[in-house]
Amino acid sequence: MPTPDEQIDVEGLRAQFLNKVFDEYEFTLDADDLAIYAKSCGETAAKFTDPNDPDFQAPPTIASSLHPKTRHPEGFPSFVGLGMDAGKAAAPTQPMRPGVPITARTHMHDIYTKSGRSGRMVFFVNRMEFADAHGNHLGSADTSVVIREKPTAGDQA
Amino acid sequence: MILDLHAHSIKSDDGRAKVQNYCQWIKAKNIAIDGFVLTEHRQFDNESDYSELAKKHGVTVLKASEVETEYGHVLVFGVTQGLQREFDFANIHLSLAQVLEACDAHDAIAVPCHPGRKRVGMAAHLDEFGVPEGVKIVEVFNGGSRGSEDEVAQQMASDLDYLGIGGSDAHIVSHIGRCGTRFQASISNEGELVEALKAGEFEALKIKEA
Amino acid sequence: MTIRNVSDVEFGSKLPDFVPDTSLANVKQFAIAAGWNGPRFTDHEAARKEGLPGALVPGIMSQGFLSAMIHRWAPLAEVQLIDTVFRAPVIVDQTYHINGVVTDIDEESGAVEIDLTVTNEADETRVFGTAKVLIPTV
Repeated sequence: MPTPDEQIDVEGLRAQFLNKVFDEYEFTLDADDLAIYAKSCGETAAKFTDPNDPDFQAPPTIASSLHPKTRHPEGFPSFVGLGMDAGKAAAPTQPMRPGVPITARTHMHDIYTKSGRSGRMVFFVNRMEFADAHGNHLGSADTSVVIREKPTAGDQA
Repeated sequence: MILDLHAHSIKSDDGRAKVQNYCQWIKAKNIAIDGFVLTEHRQFDNESDYSELAKKHGVTVLKASEVETEYGHVLVFGVTQGLQREFDFANIHLSLAQVLEACDAHDAIAVPCHPGRKRVGMAAHLDEFGVPEGVKIVEVFNGGSRGSEDEVAQQMASDLDYLGIGGSDAHIVSHIGRCGTRFQASISNEGELVEALKAGEFEALKIKEA
Repeated sequence: MTIRNVSDVEFGSKLPDFVPDTSLANVKQFAIAAGWNGPRFTDHEAARKEGLPGALVPGIMSQGFLSAMIHRWAPLAEVQLIDTVFRAPVIVDQTYHINGVVTDIDEESGAVEIDLTVTNEADETRVFGTAKVLIPTV
């Protein structure tokens, strides 16, 4: 299995995997979990913290917390290293509400390599798109995952 | 004049600042710089023309690159089409010697940036690879430095007799102008910037918030 | 100042910052609610075994803190985009500050852009990003 330090055929991976939906599933959000999520993050508005509020909804960043069921497209190489979230972008277009069936579709949006304080790294960006049962677009979330070389004992935060 | 020699826009993978917003911010907040240089990661932005924006806001906006070598990251000023044919800016395994040689051949200049930073700073690689030939200037003030990274850079520059520049390493609008470089000459384009750097008449600055 | 209308927003103004609750108890509670209760977020020792300096505050929680800051500043704000880069780990049981500053305003549409950062006690940036929000124009 390649490590981030090895030469990786990024262009080959991009040609093979980008912009193809590799995961799709339906889910609903739980009101109590959403309230705890919001309060833990410091939200104070009732529409995020009180399931009895008439406008109760998930905080706008909720989409960032959702994962595809399959983490990678089929055939995508596994890299040796420490995987971490490198960034998240949530772009809600409508509120997500508890109990409403939502469909999430995921495609790989970008792949690239770079070097940083953590050493050489491979990044891949997955984009999830969300829609309700009527096909209304609820938003999207980009997750940038970095595979970095495993830290050594001397590494610090 | 004072230029922030190290900034990233949305063209960089981790940049989140629009150039227009940098210009607005500098003017509205009276940031003590006359302009900035966009040093996008692993690429040179051939497409964008910021001359109208620069004129509108009265700010100098220049373009450069930040590339990756075995000695860490390096700013490349004076990028031309000819220089871009010499090596692949997207390659994270470049040879510093090759970058320096190519810059010499194309009237550009390569400046190791954040040299005190772990792994991607030059100081971390001197034991392994030795002192590289041809480096004359390094970045001694970087707005994104943590802990003693700037001190390490300054010590290395002092030990090896390098001149020092400053740059914010801004990735968001409000970080522009945290550090800069004061030039004696007036600079309006990339060629004049390279000349001024080669002439050695500049000093690195940390800039206080207005 | 609580923002109710885009005309209340000043270019360059700082959002009221806050110190989020990054205690292990709060992070664990969040992690369970979010379905992110892997050991690297809920157990310092387990995180160290992975080579991390301690249990991590999940990136999505940092993003949640930033979103909460926006809502505390402008309760009627509608977040259209919140885009964050996780530059360095945010560690459970350490103190951080959640910061924002207004970098662009469109008074006609009510669109406001905000620079976001999570900084540690040494004022080093651990998370940065931008948000685009819509604030009422009438």
